[in-house]
Amino acid sequence: MDLSMTLEDIFLFAFGLVAVGGSLVMLFAKNPITVALGLLSVLLATGCTYGLMGEHMVATLQIVVYAGAIMVLFVFSIMLLNLNNLKFDLAWPRVLFWASVAGLAAFFALICINVLYFFQSKMAQHQWGEFTPEKVSELGGNARVLSQALFSQNYFSFELVSIPLLIALVGAVVLAKRKLN
Amino acid sequence: MFYIDHSSFVQILAAFLFCIGLLIVIFRRNLIVMLMGVELLLNAANLSLIGFSHHFSMIDGQIQAFFVITLAAAESAIGLSILVNLYRHIGSINTSDTQLMKG
Repeated sequence: MDLSMTLEDIFLFAFGLVAVGGSLVMLFAKNPITVALGLLSVLLATGCTYGLMGEHMVATLQIVVYAGAIMVLFVFSIMLLNLNNLKFDLAWPRVLFWASVAGLAAFFALICINVLYFFQSKMAQHQWGEFTPEKVSELGGNARVLSQALFSQNYFSFELVSIPLLIALVGAVVLAKRKLN
Repeated sequence: MFYIDHSSFVQILAAFLFCIGLLIVIFRRNLIVMLMGVELLLNAANLSLIGFSHHFSMIDGQIQAFFVITLAAAESAIGLSILVNLYRHIGSINTSDTQLMKG
């Protein structure tokens, strides 16, 4: 077992650290714009993690759709609401907050143990699919493989997901145009 | 002993982000921050899906993540327009000001 760190390990660890820091900023920041910046750093760090794993298509989508479009929407509505007289809104009793932090920490520890055991097991060592990085690069890259799967075997879901998008579009326009009495 | 490789690191990171997102949704009172917590939850689920799909050399998880990203965009658009409407109604987006179920 090789315990020395490669450059990839270091980058993965750094992106993980950025994501953890951004999520903690999101939990404890007072101003919504600070929370939005924390979310942006988390999204960029996870996008970089996808890129590091070689999933370039999803990494690009993450940057364009999540860190681009959705974040612009959030920042725009923060600007539109023009929030002032902010007070820190972790308004629950302190005991309850730390009790749930302890509960979630126990939950997190359970997940960690489970994950570590799972990746030691035989089932995790077995290679289930055929799309190894070598095969993917031989087939013409991650984007091409993913698009072919999307437009052949998953094309019904691909068309179906346009219906929620259309409904969301119409719904957002209707909600925005509604007159108040 | 355990040796944390890439796949388990990604899974543990996803679990951590999910826990923090849950705490944000439960404890913050600002609705816009709660919506961002929901985005964080979806992002953590995406990270887990893509980590597993990379580990097992499959691409189904990535396709699933693609649909999750699409639906997250739709969800945030609807959520934010509801929020703007709520702000125009009651002039606040704190959940403590929205306890009455009447318009």
